[in-house]
Amino acid sequence: MQNMTSERLILPVGVGAEFLLDEWSCEIRQQESRLLTFWDTFEWGVWFSGHLLYSCEGVYHLCTREEGWPGIELCEEKSVGRRRFWNEFATPEMRAKLEGMLGLRGLAPVVEGTFRRRQDDLRNGVGKIVCRLEWLIVSLGKQQEELLHSCRVIPLLGYEAEADRLEAYLFQAGAKISGEGPLELLLRQSDRIPREYTLRPPFGLKSETPAREAVGRVVRSMLEIATGTVPGILSDLDTEFLHDYRICLRKIRSVLTLVKEVYPAEETLRMRQILGDLARQTNRLRDLDVYLLARDEYLELLPPGLRPALDEMFDDFSAERGIEVRRVISKLRAHSWSRLMGEIEECFSPKNPHPPSPASALPVGPLVFRCIYKRYRKIRVIATEIGVESSDDAVHQLRIQCKKLRYLMEFFAELIPREEVTALQKLLRRLQSRLGEFNDASVQQQTLLNYWEEKKSGSDVALGLGGLVSILYHRQQQVRSLILQAVKEFCDDATAASFKKVFKQPLSVLTTTPPRSSQS
Amino acid sequence: MKIISSYSIKGGVGKTALSVNLAYALREAGRRTLLLDLDPQGAASFYFRLESAKKFKMRDANSMAEGLRKNIRESDFPGLDVIPSNLEYRRLDILLDGMTKRRKQLRSILEEFKPDYDVILMDCPPNITLLSENVFRASDVILVPVIPTVLSRRTLEQLTGFFTDEELPGDMLRPFFSMAQKRSKMHREIMADLPTAHPGFLKTVIPFSADVEKMGLHRMPLPAYSPTCAAAVAYRALCAEILSQPSLRP
Repeated sequence: MQNMTSERLILPVGVGAEFLLDEWSCEIRQQESRLLTFWDTFEWGVWFSGHLLYSCEGVYHLCTREEGWPGIELCEEKSVGRRRFWNEFATPEMRAKLEGMLGLRGLAPVVEGTFRRRQDDLRNGVGKIVCRLEWLIVSLGKQQEELLHSCRVIPLLGYEAEADRLEAYLFQAGAKISGEGPLELLLRQSDRIPREYTLRPPFGLKSETPAREAVGRVVRSMLEIATGTVPGILSDLDTEFLHDYRICLRKIRSVLTLVKEVYPAEETLRMRQILGDLARQTNRLRDLDVYLLARDEYLELLPPGLRPALDEMFDDFSAERGIEVRRVISKLRAHSWSRLMGEIEECFSPKNPHPPSPASALPVGPLVFRCIYKRYRKIRVIATEIGVESSDDAVHQLRIQCKKLRYLMEFFAELIPREEVTALQKLLRRLQSRLGEFNDASVQQQTLLNYWEEKKSGSDVALGLGGLVSILYHRQQQVRSLILQAVKEFCDDATAASFKKVFKQPLSVLTTTPPRSSQS
Repeated sequence: MKIISSYSIKGGVGKTALSVNLAYALREAGRRTLLLDLDPQGAASFYFRLESAKKFKMRDANSMAEGLRKNIRESDFPGLDVIPSNLEYRRLDILLDGMTKRRKQLRSILEEFKPDYDVILMDCPPNITLLSENVFRASDVILVPVIPTVLSRRTLEQLTGFFTDEELPGDMLRPFFSMAQKRSKMHREIMADLPTAHPGFLKTVIPFSADVEKMGLHRMPLPAYSPTCAAAVAYRALCAEILSQPSLRP
């Protein structure tokens, strides 16, 4: 017993079951028509994991994607209302599969198509079924116009020769082997092409690229990603649009600070101020998102009896978030926002005739390597002062410096020999992860205490908050020893030697009189 | 995988009707079923609108398994495949006689199909030959249709006697009444009497029905064109009875 599969044939107009009746006996069955709505995230998490998620008549179906065709159905779930996040699905199988594909992202409809299917039986001279024919007509949305008309000839075991004869007949009538599947066609028709989404795109940099051109490319790429997140923030589909918008703004600010004197000082200062202002508009909303996303994690830290006490706090955060969302949306829709974004765009446009500045024409490779090496040495100095007794602020300073180093290595990753820095990046990631945990625990304690200060709620809430603060404090102290270990590894002589070998540049590289920048 | 045979020394007792309708009921019950038509008359193949199997070399167990596999035909009913009959099967006795372990060859041939099917159902010709002995040794259970008549009772006794003589396990024989007519006094008496002498008798009784005879006109299993007629219901009940018994359950 085998499952016989065959190619899907794309048919010209007019070649249907009726066309076969001259040669074969074909039992034509009832056609089934269904309007399918396909769902995915902004990052196309479902698509790029090789799956499709669609809803039809109140049921969500998750299936494999086989070259743009819905393949094997993995699970389905009835739903009264719309589902946005993976954890809004009820069945364990659906949740487990979607969690990895969606992460924190929300689902939105990407395209709708009408799928008209029919399965006919093709019989031989004695009336035995020899092939089954799967017809499929796909139209965009609820339209009647055929976007795709296909047929799959599925021979019954032992009747492959009949299927070959039928396929040959269809090829003669103009059938072609399927190229694009219905999904690709529907998406193309509605101008929705799945693209890999990343906050670390390649910038096409070379070591000898003039610094201003290189930094300009980084800024323009980040700005484009930031602008792309705005519709998602306005629709409040998920928290990650705002998160990414803020990261992009921060990265632009960072690159201007980390690679100094690439643009005129007063312009750099002005841009940094604008970027800072734009980011600050969203600070509170992001904070609230972080707390609300961590709700389950917070609650699990407490004994079950104390958990209901924190509901009041989360309800307050949730209500405040509603207000903040409206406030941020009104800011993003305001004329002043468009004007500021326009100013940034204009400033970093390749056409903008900025006067030259000390580093504008220097080759970006040596310049950035020097910055990286300098930053690493600074971290080493700070790290020598970090111990079990260090203040939270000192640890915070180390975290900031590490973040700057990581940004530099990220922005200019194309210039760095990957095999030589993989181990260094791993050590940096580990240290940053520890510092992040430490900082989170510190900030969270402060937030909870601030909330208490502000609300002075009942004793139940106080008990819950107190419990949580002490757990977070304990966690912070535990992370301290791990930080010391990670610092030791990142700042030891061997790591320092590696940094020196890869990134140390002779001063002469930067002291030669630069040629006049082509951009200036 | 279980191997079930539909067998009787006597002809015209409903072996082929049993094979075709039980195979259909088994696939309805979710069992991947292969019907092997060993009767050179090829009536079971005819009911499924199948042409005779193509000739193949039958030198040894391997070539026979390969030939049988090449002749598998998917029926119109998903989950049910058929190896149609071939007039060459009349020579199977001679071929088996020339092989080593000549009484057990069929079992090793059918083992080849184990991964693909839950049940292999064999429709056997009405005689006792070396092929029949192979069928007995290959089967997990042998279903024996018995018309409640004196002659059928006699052939059942001949069969049980053969099993005793050949030291074959008699409990694999599971007779049941076929083509029974409750209006016939003789049928009623034999149906009351015979199971006491044969404890393996199945409880389900297949009634005589003109609908069964019409299978030749429809060329499909009875439950496919007349799912609610008494005989179709009885074949399903027989299938359920088989599936309910741990020793018979595929």
